[in-house]
Amino acid sequence: MKRVVLALVSTVTGLVMLLGFKTHSTAAPVALGSTGTSSTGTGSTGSTGGATSAGPSAPGTTTSKIRTVNGHAAHTPYGPVQVQVQLSGSKITNVQVLQHPTASGQDQQINGYALPILINETMTVQSAHIDSVSGATYTSDGYIRSLQGALDQAGITR
Amino acid sequence: MTTPLAGFRLAHPQRLAPGHRRAEECMGTVFSFDVRDLDADVAAAAVDAAVRWLHDVDARFSPYRPDSEVSAVADGRRQLADASPQLREVLSLAAEVAAMSDGAFTTTPFGRFDPSGVVKGWAIERAAAVLVEHGAQRFSINGGGDVQTRGFTTAARRWQIGISDPADRSRLVAVVRAPSAEPMAVATSGTAERGAHIDRVPDDGAGGGLASITLVGTGLAWVDACATAAYAKGEDGLRWVEKRLDGVEALAVGRDGRTAMTAGFPGLLAG
Repeated sequence: MKRVVLALVSTVTGLVMLLGFKTHSTAAPVALGSTGTSSTGTGSTGSTGGATSAGPSAPGTTTSKIRTVNGHAAHTPYGPVQVQVQLSGSKITNVQVLQHPTASGQDQQINGYALPILINETMTVQSAHIDSVSGATYTSDGYIRSLQGALDQAGITR
Repeated sequence: MTTPLAGFRLAHPQRLAPGHRRAEECMGTVFSFDVRDLDADVAAAAVDAAVRWLHDVDARFSPYRPDSEVSAVADGRRQLADASPQLREVLSLAAEVAAMSDGAFTTTPFGRFDPSGVVKGWAIERAAAVLVEHGAQRFSINGGGDVQTRGFTTAARRWQIGISDPADRSRLVAVVRAPSAEPMAVATSGTAERGAHIDRVPDDGAGGGLASITLVGTGLAWVDACATAAYAKGEDGLRWVEKRLDGVEALAVGRDGRTAMTAGFPGLLAG
């Protein structure tokens, strides 16, 4: 008969560190969209077209070009989530959240910690091998969809 | 995170990459499809069919749609004896989990008929079958954090699914790797997901209760329903999985941050 292994690995921090996952907050290039930039939110079809803009870097220099791409505004049960990514080649160098739900205090609380974390996950996971995550949230789904849209536009694929 | 961020490369822009990725809103959540094989157009058609299936399921099973079959049964406008084959299948699965869990799982939470607790996992497993019918052998489907995979991601690499820490989303508590090319199902039930299908919520006494429990098996219909039941069982959930569920392993995370696993779970860990 099998036995339950009460592997009280505290928080599995060791494992997580081993896998190279960062904890939140530090050095994250987080720029949560202020409430002032939130969208009209009228779209019922669920998305608006994203836009690609030329990067700020000087053309023709030896430094790799930074491209900035906006994802579409992904609608979630809590409101739209839209991200902007900056890429150097195929590497994500920065992620900003342009829009996130702010309807309630709870939204702000959730987004206050969830979005910076997602941003950090994006930055770290691209170098790890995680295909999917179990136990996601609405907000993270919106984030992922907008991010995916941005990456699709940028021609980033597997 | 519900889509693969790992290993992104610049594509040859003029060439269609194989496979297909899509996120689809349905049933109040988001379903992410990630097909790694088939020509892009064939894969897209496969996902189209699977997405149609999900919307059909929503139309039939949504407790929020007055015209759904589930609402008709809940309102007494339709007898269970006249239930569709799909509803019968779901009810039979629900009955199995209810019996196996000694009633921790129910299709009448709060006294109203609502089999939602088994519908999503079942719908995803069936959506996987739709993809297979269209020739796909390497894919994952993630519906609101519950995942069904099949095959390898590439010739040599197996699917790796992160399990988020319920207390701190900046962390993954673990990463599981599909043990083979056979289907793998990963379902997490926890405080973040207060489904109406759980009407016995575990005590959240100081540090005692479960924060989340993740089950790994082969078919998501069974694994997802059992995850719900295991969570409803609270601290007995892990032991219940160990004793009663063959071929299913579990990782529990307590509100105090401690984790515990069934005996076979360590063998699933990646890295």
